[in-house]
Amino acid sequence: MKTHILAFALSITVCLGARAELKFDKTEIELHPTPADKQAVGHFTYQNTGKTPVKFKSVKASCGCTAAQTQKDEVPPGEKGEVTATFNIGDRTGTQVKTVTVETDDHTNPHTVLTLRTIIPQLLEVTPTFVFWKQGDKPDAKPITVKVGKEFTVNNIKVTSSSPDFQTKVEETGKGEFKIDVQPKDTNSNLGTTLTIQPVDSPKLFYATARVTGAPPAPMAPADQKAPAGQAAPVAPTDQKAPVGKTAPSGQTH
Amino acid sequence: MNQTSNVQRPTGINREQALNAEVSADGAASNIKYRRSNILWRIVDFGVAGIFIYAGALKMLDPVQFAHDVKNFQILPWPISVALAFYLPWLEILCGVGLVFRLFYRGALCILSALIVVFTLATAAAKLRGLDITCGCFGHASQHWSFPAHLATNLGILAALLALWFSHRLARYVGEALPGTP
Amino acid sequence: MKLSLTRQALVLVALSLLPAVGEAIYFRGKISWQSPIPPSELVSVDQARTWGENVIWVDARPDAEFARDHVPGALSLNEDRWNELLPEFVASWSPGKKVVVYCSAESCDLAREAAERLRKEAQIPDVFVLEGGWEAWLKKNR
Repeated sequence: MKTHILAFALSITVCLGARAELKFDKTEIELHPTPADKQAVGHFTYQNTGKTPVKFKSVKASCGCTAAQTQKDEVPPGEKGEVTATFNIGDRTGTQVKTVTVETDDHTNPHTVLTLRTIIPQLLEVTPTFVFWKQGDKPDAKPITVKVGKEFTVNNIKVTSSSPDFQTKVEETGKGEFKIDVQPKDTNSNLGTTLTIQPVDSPKLFYATARVTGAPPAPMAPADQKAPAGQAAPVAPTDQKAPVGKTAPSGQTH
Repeated sequence: MNQTSNVQRPTGINREQALNAEVSADGAASNIKYRRSNILWRIVDFGVAGIFIYAGALKMLDPVQFAHDVKNFQILPWPISVALAFYLPWLEILCGVGLVFRLFYRGALCILSALIVVFTLATAAAKLRGLDITCGCFGHASQHWSFPAHLATNLGILAALLALWFSHRLARYVGEALPGTP
Repeated sequence: MKLSLTRQALVLVALSLLPAVGEAIYFRGKISWQSPIPPSELVSVDQARTWGENVIWVDARPDAEFARDHVPGALSLNEDRWNELLPEFVASWSPGKKVVVYCSAESCDLAREAAERLRKEAQIPDVFVLEGGWEAWLKKNR
């Protein structure tokens, strides 16, 4: 019984080995870019182990963020080559898995999926990335916590505000942890700033936004508002202005 | 032990009985051997059970994430993924407990083996289809593992389960043959 | 008592049902049996329309798709240029507004992930994902 199973298994592997033509050394690559990297590149090398040339029909990535190319369109027997997958990290975080589907005219293996797994290191974690005050609120300082990734050491961070209307103060609150206190000069008008956070020994930049947001004081023609039921719930007078406040943010209509 | 009639007795005896049977005559030496290898097998029992109970607990604590992970295999429709997300972890845990306390032992071994086989096949199928699956035996915690690592782990667990199964059958068979059965 | 193998397996299978059902009841508010997105986070095109001017539409698709066509008034917010686009989004937002994120269809994950980032990182309340995505919006509006 055992020898039969062994013989069967062997014959299958031998059969498979003989027929496959375009063989990839690895179909799954894991990349560990540094925080400063903007791209992560995976080199999927292959070899034509068959007796006839193999032609690439298409090389497609699962998302627009990954570009994939082969060096050559046709691979003669015995030749080696590579499919290069370039993943644009952009502003992504965490573990990103993208695939590249390769189609060839190889009958036994027309369809290969290459997997690119990119572990994006988190140098800093900024929470929250957005703080706000409503118009009329007390202009108290609001905290933003910056945590350093476990595998990194950051001695200090530099915070700059794009607008002079906001003040920032940075203090170290623990090992690998900082606190940024942001404060507007007043909350009488819609103000905004982008805070650029930079670790002292790295070129990588992180961001947070602070805004004074809210409605102009006088309610205007509330009758023409299709006031949704949920909106009526808050009782405080300031909230009643909220539906009308739509005219204030300028980005809305474009 | 008082025995009235032998008619209703089951034909085999379990390993414990074989082990503890005070056999005065030729069974004495073989009893010691069984005791030693029995401890070894119990360790394997505990090891495998521990893996499944741990894996089940991880998945049981976050069924929403597990349901998404099952969905990403793209084999089952969403409502079934949800049902499995709630059910499978408990099945794993109960079977693991069964292994530890020797309750419904064979049934537990059988179910766990079936689970591992199905799981490995699903992982292989997903890999072939180029799906992004981050779920392994250990739920979302194993998302950083590569396919070969997943495969190797699953096959190792299956090997342990099969070994337990065969050793159990062997012990039962031998137990039946031991003299001096009460 | 020695049960046969099948009986043992059946007992285990049946016993597991009890805690499973208990857990399903416990988690009923957090998971929808109809759709992968939690019921509290999904909104249909019609529902979003009842919110009228109080909605900010967010397009989580890549730049090229956004440029081709998008919900009128929608803001682009994708992971390629998240840091650049977030301040623009935030400038349009004010407390009380409802945010509806969409990508091409319900099956694509971009909207769910963008919504998660808005909730977790920017801590914006009232962030929803459009049921059916851009496809559903097109059906109702074109």
